Amino acid sequence: MNMTWQPSRWGLTSRMVALSLLLLLLVQAAVFSVVRTSIEQSAQRQVQQELLVGEKVWRRLLDQKAQQLSQGATVLAADYAFRDAVNSQDRDTIRSALQNNGARIGATVTAYLDPQLALLAVGEGQDEAQIKPLLTRLAGVSAQQMQGSLIAMVQKTPYQFVLVPLKAPVTVGWVLMGFPIDQKLLDDMRELSDMHLVLISQSQEEPSQIVSTTLPSRTLMSLVSVDDMVREVPVPGDLLIARTVTLYSGLSGNVRTLLLRSLNDVVAPFRQAQVALAWITALGVVLFAVGSVFAARRVTTPLRSLVRAAETMGQGRYDVPMEFTDRKDEIGALAQAFDAMRINIGVQQDQILQLAYWDRLTGLPNRARFREAVQAHILKFAQETSDLPEKNMAVIMLDMDRFKHVNDVLGYSFGDQLLIAVAKRLTQREMREGDLVARLGGDEFAVILSGSDVQTAVAVAQRIAKSFEIPLALEDQNVDMSASMGIACYPQSAQDVDALLSHAEVAMYAAKARTTLLQVYDPSLDFASAQNLSMLSELRQAVSHGELRLFLQPKIALATQVVVAAEALVRWQHPERGLVQPLQFIPFAEQTGFVRELTNWVFRETARVFKALDSGSPHLRVAINLSTRDLLDVDFPARLDAMLAEYGVEPEAFCLEITESAIMDDPQRAQNTLHTLSKRGFKLSIDDFGTGYSSLAYLKSLPVDELKIDKSFVMAMESDEDDAKIVRSTIDLAHNLGLTVVAEGVENALIWDKLKELQCDEAQGYYMSKPIPAQEFSAWCKAWNTRHMLLPSRSAM
Amino acid sequence: MKFVLSVLGCWVAVILPLWAAVVQVQVQDERGKPLPDAVVFLESREAKLLTKPLQGAEMAQLTRQFVPNVLVVPTGTAVSFPNRDTVRHHVYSFSPIKKFELKLFAGTPANPIVFDKSGIAVLGCNIHDNMAAWVVVVDTPFYGITDGLGLASMAQVPTGNYNLRVWHSRLPVGAPATEHTLTVGNTPGSTTVRLAGLTP
Repeated sequence: MNMTWQPSRWGLTSRMVALSLLLLLLVQAAVFSVVRTSIEQSAQRQVQQELLVGEKVWRRLLDQKAQQLSQGATVLAADYAFRDAVNSQDRDTIRSALQNNGARIGATVTAYLDPQLALLAVGEGQDEAQIKPLLTRLAGVSAQQMQGSLIAMVQKTPYQFVLVPLKAPVTVGWVLMGFPIDQKLLDDMRELSDMHLVLISQSQEEPSQIVSTTLPSRTLMSLVSVDDMVREVPVPGDLLIARTVTLYSGLSGNVRTLLLRSLNDVVAPFRQAQVALAWITALGVVLFAVGSVFAARRVTTPLRSLVRAAETMGQGRYDVPMEFTDRKDEIGALAQAFDAMRINIGVQQDQILQLAYWDRLTGLPNRARFREAVQAHILKFAQETSDLPEKNMAVIMLDMDRFKHVNDVLGYSFGDQLLIAVAKRLTQREMREGDLVARLGGDEFAVILSGSDVQTAVAVAQRIAKSFEIPLALEDQNVDMSASMGIACYPQSAQDVDALLSHAEVAMYAAKARTTLLQVYDPSLDFASAQNLSMLSELRQAVSHGELRLFLQPKIALATQVVVAAEALVRWQHPERGLVQPLQFIPFAEQTGFVRELTNWVFRETARVFKALDSGSPHLRVAINLSTRDLLDVDFPARLDAMLAEYGVEPEAFCLEITESAIMDDPQRAQNTLHTLSKRGFKLSIDDFGTGYSSLAYLKSLPVDELKIDKSFVMAMESDEDDAKIVRSTIDLAHNLGLTVVAEGVENALIWDKLKELQCDEAQGYYMSKPIPAQEFSAWCKAWNTRHMLLPSRSAM
Repeated sequence: MKFVLSVLGCWVAVILPLWAAVVQVQVQDERGKPLPDAVVFLESREAKLLTKPLQGAEMAQLTRQFVPNVLVVPTGTAVSFPNRDTVRHHVYSFSPIKKFELKLFAGTPANPIVFDKSGIAVLGCNIHDNMAAWVVVVDTPFYGITDGLGLASMAQVPTGNYNLRVWHSRLPVGAPATEHTLTVGNTPGSTTVRLAGLTP
């Protein structure tokens, strides 16, 4: 597991668990609250109900007691001896009998009343006054009402009174018997109803007092006051709900019973239910937690797996299959989608990598890949602490020579096959671990030689060069190929990848420029390239600051010795270096493309000064050298038109010189441009004729007016018979094709004469004149003409 | 005790001897309904002198009832208490005019009880609480008990002024007979007495 992911590992799970637990607890809390409330209400109701029933029971108990007492009293009243005694008319006997017989059934208050309920006698030892209030209450009570009992106070004690008739045999009087409401009755009630009772009496204008109770004395202490209506009595750990049952209330006082029911007793079964509910809740929470964790895990485990898989993919690995793809639910669908995405991205990644790092044509790594490989090597070397000799490498950069030419002549498809063949040749070589061949672009290839020093690299490069000596056989054609190679070594040449590649390239260009096939990088090359850079800006400056000078070298008609033409040449008057030789900047200008600027400048300058030129002959022709780049520039003819128009010069006044190699770089386009120029009226000349490979058949198809024999042949013709023959045959050939021939490099009279003998048309060289500043040209011509007009028949000077 | 005397009219039957007459008394309750079983007697000094014990008076017990329920006897009458039931009875009286007790007996007890004081004696049976009877002892030979129509007739009542007394067992316990003045002439007389304060 990824440690960075650890903190949120439980995120979803715990949230899901917490949420479900929270919901469960909410529901349970609501249930609990409702249950609790309803238990309380229900308990209260039940207690009230029980108290209500208790009151009925209590009253019934009192009634039963009264009936019991009444029956006892009735039996007593029917006792013959008692009746006899009561009817004895003797007051003391009566009182004695009352007391005695009352005591038999527990009556502590007894009285004998006449049929009209007037007091006749009270029991012995009793005070008449005590029952006077009771008699007042009895007055007016019908006999039927007397069947029940009366509760009254006698000396602050509640009594239950019964009144029974004394029959002899008709009712001759009433016997009143009073029984104190005693503890036993309360205990009976307690046994019947599970209630506590407090019997309270209150005499007139006196505080209430507790007569008897079933409450234990400890609990009784909680009953602070019984004066007011007591509704509940809080006791330690319980609450007693009270109901006051008024047994009697009158002027003389009142008798009340407090029925007390323990709330705990009522609530106890509910409490058990609550405890059970709590247990169920706890169990539910546990089950829910386990279930939620399980359910959440069912989701989060695959999610984590997917996250891991996504991270793996993020690290660029697309080969690890997803888990959980066999699940049938949404997770499974997600995993399958992920897996499909993984596969597709993998495929696309491969394609992208292929595109990004591999050359599609040759199947070799491309420049980016190559650069990374070099970088990787350098990093590896830097990280390795050991001092191994293998901590070096060489980079060979290889560029095909004249590939463009092949491409143009034989077609792009052929060119492609050629590149493939070259790639094959490069890779056929035995490779070492870490070696790499790449196609950097176009016809440019590169090789990493891991662990190679300069000597090894040169040896490899030479082997490569040797392999190129064998012609490539493609489509029934044998093609000779050669390549220029530059070698740069790490760490000698450069320490970083860009410098290393740049140095290899510099070396390669140097090899190409020097046609040495291979070149090892040397800082001086780099200096040259740096100089080149500054030269480019200086050249631009030269154009804009007017540091360029137009020089003209006359061309003399061999037959008439008339100045018929001149070659326009550019010189650079450097403010610091003085006059810079053309070889020092023309090749560079050709390499960089700046040569077009130079061509422009020369043409313009020539056009500008043309009218001022006086060669002494009517039709002076100025030859201007064109580079390959001029020929390939589609706008070039139009530019020439504009300049001619600007200075009012005819195209016929110009001869455009093109080297063979310039044409051969892109023969088709060159031919097109040449035709365009020819149609405009420009004369065209093949410069340096004889050095290239152009076939005569090809030349024939060009709209060329003139051949200019390369000076190497001309200069050698006086000593080398072969060269002389070449010159002769060239002149013959050109004449046969209807072309005029110009020989350059004419340095002495011997050559002059020989050329004249060979019927060469025009000559140019130091023998007649070096290139001279344009402004001096007219003067020179005048001088020349003067000399040769005077000596028109001389064959040599 | 409140009483009402209403003399509706009196007439003397020509066929009766001059010195005596029949006195008929109608007894009604408060609402004027005829009251049977009411004891009616006439008191006067002369009448008291004429009083003589009645022979053969008895208060039998039959089917656990006293028969008759109300017995009127002149003072000094000896009343026998024949028991005609198969069970024994224990007749008693706590009344002040005559307290006696005939302990459990069967048949006729040997000595009849002589009621020698006028007044009302309530008789009961100690064995059977529901048995009750009254012996009304009067100091006069002129007495009667109202029949089902509430009428009682007393024959051969000499003319003169009398104290007409009416009693009924439904009068409150211990209450004496009501008193009304009545003058008896030569002709049979009739009078109506309404008794108030009767218990239900």
